Parts: sequence; C-alpha cells; structure tokens
Amino acid sequence: MAAEEAEVVATERVIRAGDRPLREVNAEIRAAIEAGEHVRVTEPLSRHNLGVALPAGGEVTFDGSVGYYCGGLNNGATITVTRNTGWGLGEAMASGLITVDGNAAMSVGASLRGGTIHVRGDAGPRCGVAMKGGLIVVEGNVGHACGFMAHGGKVLCLGDTADAAGDSLWNGEIWVAGTIRGLGVDARIEEPPAEEVAQVRELLTGVGVSDEGRPWKRIVSAQALWHFESRDAQQWLMI
Amino acid sequence: MCGIAGRTLNEPGAVGADLVAMMAAQRHRGWDSTGFALYGEALEDAYVVRALLADRAHLHEDLEALRTVTREHGADFVEDPTWDDSGQTHVLARLVVTDPEPFSAWVDACDDLDRVELQSAGRALEIVKDLGDSHQVAAKHGVEHFTGTHGLGHVRLATESNVSPVAGHPFWARPFPDVAIVHNGQLTNYYTWRRRLQRQGYRFTTENDSELIAVWNSDRMAAGDSLQQSLERSLTELDGVFTYLLATGDGIALAKDRWAIKPVVAVVAPDGVAVATEEQSLRTLYQEEIDVEVHDGPNVVRIWPAAAPVAAGMAV
Repeated sequence: MAAEEAEVVATERVIRAGDRPLREVNAEIRAAIEAGEHVRVTEPLSRHNLGVALPAGGEVTFDGSVGYYCGGLNNGATITVTRNTGWGLGEAMASGLITVDGNAAMSVGASLRGGTIHVRGDAGPRCGVAMKGGLIVVEGNVGHACGFMAHGGKVLCLGDTADAAGDSLWNGEIWVAGTIRGLGVDARIEEPPAEEVAQVRELLTGVGVSDEGRPWKRIVSAQALWHFESRDAQQWLMI
Repeated sequence: MCGIAGRTLNEPGAVGADLVAMMAAQRHRGWDSTGFALYGEALEDAYVVRALLADRAHLHEDLEALRTVTREHGADFVEDPTWDDSGQTHVLARLVVTDPEPFSAWVDACDDLDRVELQSAGRALEIVKDLGDSHQVAAKHGVEHFTGTHGLGHVRLATESNVSPVAGHPFWARPFPDVAIVHNGQLTNYYTWRRRLQRQGYRFTTENDSELIAVWNSDRMAAGDSLQQSLERSLTELDGVFTYLLATGDGIALAKDRWAIKPVVAVVAPDGVAVATEEQSLRTLYQEEIDVEVHDGPNVVRIWPAAAPVAAGMAV
C-alpha cells in the first residue's frame, strides 16, 4: 500500500501558471497527461482558459481560483478546482468530471454535451445555459435563469434557485431540493416519479453526495413555446 | 467589449501603479485606448485641469488662450502648465488654476477655443487617457508615479465610435468638478436622455453613451438625490446593458443593470477596495487566495469611500 502511494506522488507534475503565457501552461498540462502524469497547477491566479480540451484519462488539480472557461471542451479528463471559478466552467464539455470545491460564477456548463460538473458551493446565473446533455450538480444555490434554454441533460440543485428558473427551457430538467424563488417563461414545476428520484439518488451517490428524503421538485418545459402561435406573442415578447 | 477597474486606498498611496497593473491584466478586453481617472491630494482653493490640445505646433499659443479665458473668469494659473513631451501631434497638458467664476461658463469658454478640449477639472481629479495599451499610456504620462486615494481605469475596444485620444474613457461629468466614469456596456435610450440633458444646457463632447451616464448622475445629485439614490434610479431610468463605476472626490461607486450581462468582481481588503471586470485583474494586486465578491446578479449598487478605515472583520 505504501509503495503504491509513493508511486502516485512520484507521478505528479507540478506546473506553475502565475503570469506565464497560457498556451505554454496548457501545452505542459497536455504533455504531462500524455506522459501519464497527474497534474497540479499552482498559482492559477483566476486566469482564463486553463485546462481546455483535455483528453480522457487526464487528472488535473488547480490549486486556487481559476478564471473563465476552465475545463471547457473537456474530452474526458477529471479536473478539480480547489477554490472558485469564473464564467463558463466546462463550456461545451463532451465527457469527464469537473469538481469545484468553492463557488462557480455565471454560465456553469454552458452548452454542455456530456460528463458531470459538480460545484460544492453556489453557482451563478444561467447555470446550464443551452446545455444539450450531461449532469450539473450544485450543492448550494443557483443564480437567476438556471437552465436557460437548456435542450437536454439535468441540473440538480440541492439549495435554492433565484428568479426565472428554467426560463425558455426546451427539453432539459432542473431538479431543486430547496426553494424555487421564481419560474422563467414557459417553465412548470412537477413532482418527479419515484423511480426517477431513485435514479437521481444514484447520480448524486456517484459524486459522493448522499441523498435521502430530499423534497425534490422538477422544473420542465411547459412546451407552450415549442411552436409559435400568435396568441402567445406576449410571452415571446416578455421583455 | 471594454474592461473597467476601480481602486480605493485607505491611506494615500500608489493608486496609479495599481490601476496600471489592473488594466494591463485586462489588455485583451481592448487595446486601442486606455485611460485613468486619478484622485490625488485635494487642492483647497484651486482646480487641477487636464486639457487636450489638438496640435503641438500651436501649443504655446493655445495655452496662452487658456490663460486669457481663465483671467476673463476672474482666475489665473497657479503654476506654469506642464505637458507630455512625446512629440506626438496631440498634447495632454496639466494646469492648476484658481477658482474661475462661474465655473461652468469658464468650462464652456475653454472648450470653445480652437484645438482645446478640457478632459477633467476638479480639486483632485485628473483624467489621463490616450491611444495605446495600459503600459504605453502609463509610460507616456507617468501614471505609475501618481499617488492618491482612489481612481478608475478603462481599456477600450471601440465598436462604433471614433478611436481618438478624446474618445476613450474615463469621461469627466462636464461641468461637475471631480466626477468621472468608466463604463462597460451600451445604453439604448441614449439619444432620449442626451436631448433632455442638452435642453438643460449640458454639453457633450463625444457621441459616447458613457459620457452621458456621468452627467446624468451628476444632474440627479445636483437635483437633490444622494449618490445611492441616483445610482438606484439609473437602474430603471437608463435602459440597456451596463456596468459602470462612478468616481467622486470621496470614493468610487458601482451600478449594474437588470440584465446583468457585463461582469464585475470586487475585493474588499484591509488596505482598500479593488473592483474590475475580471477577477484576474484583481489578482495582480492580491495574489494570495482571497475572497472575491462576484456581482453576477442584476441590479447592483455599491459605494466604496476612499481613505476611510475598513470595518473589522472584512474579508481578506
């Protein structure tokens, strides 16, 4: 056992971000993953575009807060951020796992296609905007317009939503264990069937969150805006 | 897309150098023009003036014309004017004048001179803006050596209007001494408000909506609103997507619209406050892991006084 632990430590590559050129940092992360090493990035200093388009098998930890689009276009890597993230965390990710120990700002998992994003703190506005698939788990609260225009996939919010939850939902699902402070246009709340609650429990178990007896509600599309009808013009023009 | 920043210090210090670093970190948000609104030690019975003179070949003639106009308003230069020695055609000059009467008539008279446009006037405010990125503008005008209590910064990527030394931010709330603005966004009811304010007698030197927001707030405050009330009113009466920082002689303030598209983050630290479009701008000043206020939500108003002690227990 001790020998195995030693081996893991030996294969960790430490890469400093600081004020270095981002392309250089990202190229080193990629090279280390290709060499089979785990990567620890120090001094991320809230810089943008860290760890984008990483390949399957990669294991990367950012020691601190990162800026915009961290883990964007992820292709299967496991990414951990030990503090907070800026906008567009995991944007357009295809597969993989991104875990944030702190809070995530606006547009978590924008255009997400697959994989899992797990935010232990709160997520900002438009969490899951235009997501096509995949899973977003937020242990805290989500900001306004959560799931805005989502086409597929699930957001699991263990806390509360802000206003306009599920605004213009197309076909995704927003599960909320706390309070829904306001619904967006063309969204409705339903009681999820027991078998789907059981599936959600399994999804949560998969990211290490236990789920017993949470009062789940599910926000889905009311489908009134799927087809344009002139009598709905006021809803379309709600701004 | 533009980048903005604000800085307050609890003790007068290197506010110029801080803002240069903060704007350099946001260079990618716009590099055609960079500007700073800097608040140094307030003068008691004189105004510090920054003026753009359009043609270096007429520099001395134009300074003399400014002196004549100032004397016509019962005031005079306190010290010899200074200016940048870049050799470029346009000149940014710095004057210190005793109190002209009436102040707004003197401002109009100065602006009426050929080749002259006031960039700022105030007890403490100095607006320095020019073409180029943060380090280029700072090197040309010595911004990094500026000490003071607070200030604003702006990097500009012009999307519609002209690229010129007078078109960048910050804008002075002409003719209100010591009020300046930096802004990221756009107003959709700009012309409505511009015509109303022009009918009240305000002059605009650009087609830029940011200039209007500064004058709009100053007009509200002249009409009796507090700074807080004016900022809150702007959230409903100004239409568009905007995040702006307004500076006065007392400190800086933030307002963000109801659509909440334009980002802004802040750090409230023991030595002062830093606020910027992007967190990585703040991290040039605070490299240790710190708590950042993320104002991602709609309808935000904040006021941060400068040179005031920070309450115990504030986030570090």
